[in-house]
Amino acid sequence: MRPDDMLEYVLSSFRSDWRRAFMSSLGIIIGVISIVALLSVGQGLYGGVSEQFGDMDMDLISVRPGSEMVMGPGPGSRPVLSSAEPAEFDHKDVKIVENVLGVDAVYPLKTARALLSFRGDNSSVNIVGISPENHDDMKDSVARGRFLTGSDYKAAVVSSDVAENSFRMKISPGNQIRVYSADKSRYMDLKVVGVLEEDEDPSYASNDGIYVSHRAMKEFLDSENYYYDSIIVRARDSAEVEVVAEKVEKALSRTHRNEAYSVEAMTTIFESVLEVLNMIKYALAGIGSISLVVGAIGISNVMMLTVKERTHEIGVMKAIGATTWDVRALYLLDAGMLGLVSSLVGILLGTLVSNFVGSVAMLPMEVTAQSVALGLLFGVSITTVAGIYPANKAAVLDPIEALRGE
Amino acid sequence: MALVEISNLEKSYRVGETDVPVLKGIDLEIDEGEFVALMGPSGCGKSTLMNILGCLDRPSRGRILLKGQDLGHLSDRDLARIRREEIGFVFQNFNLIGRISNLKNVELPMTLKETAKNLRRDRAMELLESVGLGHRLDYSPSNLSGGERQRVAIARALANDPSIILADEPTGNLDERSTSDIMDIMRELNGEGRTIVMVTHDIETTRCCNRVIWMRDGTIQEDAS
Ligand SMILES: Nc1ncnc2c1ncn2[C@@H]1O[C@H](COP(=O)(O)OP(=O)(O)O)[C@@H](O)[C@H]1O
Ligand SMILES: [Mg+2]
Repeated sequence: MRPDDMLEYVLSSFRSDWRRAFMSSLGIIIGVISIVALLSVGQGLYGGVSEQFGDMDMDLISVRPGSEMVMGPGPGSRPVLSSAEPAEFDHKDVKIVENVLGVDAVYPLKTARALLSFRGDNSSVNIVGISPENHDDMKDSVARGRFLTGSDYKAAVVSSDVAENSFRMKISPGNQIRVYSADKSRYMDLKVVGVLEEDEDPSYASNDGIYVSHRAMKEFLDSENYYYDSIIVRARDSAEVEVVAEKVEKALSRTHRNEAYSVEAMTTIFESVLEVLNMIKYALAGIGSISLVVGAIGISNVMMLTVKERTHEIGVMKAIGATTWDVRALYLLDAGMLGLVSSLVGILLGTLVSNFVGSVAMLPMEVTAQSVALGLLFGVSITTVAGIYPANKAAVLDPIEALRGE
Repeated sequence: MALVEISNLEKSYRVGETDVPVLKGIDLEIDEGEFVALMGPSGCGKSTLMNILGCLDRPSRGRILLKGQDLGHLSDRDLARIRREEIGFVFQNFNLIGRISNLKNVELPMTLKETAKNLRRDRAMELLESVGLGHRLDYSPSNLSGGERQRVAIARALANDPSIILADEPTGNLDERSTSDIMDIMRELNGEGRTIVMVTHDIETTRCCNRVIWMRDGTIQEDAS
């Protein structure tokens, strides 16, 4: 039998029995939908996160006391004994780091939770102590008012988020605010001197904070020992950031020999997150494949039923001269065509689903050529493989027996 | 050389532990152009003989030659080719495919032989016209009467211009009127020189045959020209 005649025969059998064709394709359609949708959800997640990290400064290095490493050991992180005491960083360490070759700026930070009170409203915020004179980079990031200076004492700069969204009234430069410690045992009145632009943040960590000088922070916390809880270091050249991180680590190790701390380039953290996301993406595709396999078992079952129903027809075909191979090829083509059509439908629906998920989750969804190709490849090959057993059953039917079965 | 040469042909079926003999030594020659009626009581092995002759089944022992070719030693693939090109089978229950048109049914043996599309279409139309169904080309066999169905089946059997027509009780399911229609066609075909072997229970239908073979219990009892 010629291929075009086989195709015509298969298509005519779909037409005369579209319900069977639909039922058997359902599993494959769902499988392909999940592959395409899940792959692009994964891709979207990946894209969304890299977009967010894209804003991040790639030339930053984070120095933290304590032995927890954010993303496991990487270049620049320092393996320490768990018994080691967390390092205590103060202004001397800032001086040390400032003198490391390749360091552009150093931002020592001290963060605490606080309750911010403004015109009778309260809101929980991060209060961050900073060294204003080090923040040359923030001068142009102020929307209203000005940034802190070295001589400011009980003055604060407020992030855009806190100023615009946290209270009934917007906070403006010149306003008085009051901050309470987390246990409300102390408070401090501050004068707002500036409001930052959106997404600007001198702590490079969260943008829902208010920022004060270390002098004010020390008084607010009222503690004997005032140590920084992180030191952010800016490298002069972002390509050199990991080398600089190593140098910073080395410089600090001289005075903090047996203490626990970590020095990590932000890019290292970013790379580990992307790696995890990549894994998630393929895990999702794996789930899609499982549903395809289940779909394939469904197709195999429906085809077994078809072969049973068509026993007489197969007997007729063989009696008038169809070879074993003719029959086998016909039913493999039947499966392959089912796979092709269901994969195309699945890709179409999968695209719709992922666009819908994308608009709801506000992720940049992307149905890539790769996921379409994977959907098509898996859909067609798995159905064809599922067709092998039923096609063989049909091919080896004994014509006399088959003809008797009417 | 005779068209069909059968010598000492035996066939037994295995039922459980035992071999049940069905054909017990058949010797038979059929020449080109003969119209042979095969008669005998039910269960005597007529269909079994027809199936072996039609390459649907294989002999257990003995020899069967069609145009000098030993059917006992052919591969499945070659047997299929002989069914397709040398044999025209007509069954009691028609064995047409209900979900495709009469035209497609008659085309099917030619489709399997990979005949060009327009050639097989023309020939199928011609054949259906010759059995008086030129106006039923696009009907499905399931919308036809039994007699009409058997005429479609005969047209299909002729599609690849076979060497022999094997008809196993072709009128067994038909009324008198249709039976005489079918027998008219058979006689006409034989008149054109076609070799026909027909199993029948109806002595009336043997009138146009030039030879009647009686079988009994797996052997040939009488062979009368
Ligand atoms: N596949 C088979 N297995 C076992 N016995 C069979 C088989 N086919 C036919 N027979 C037996 O062989 C005998 C002859 O059958 P058949 O050739 O169909 O008879 P007829 O056509 O003359 O009525 C019967 O007894 C039947 O039961
Ligand atoms: Mg019989």
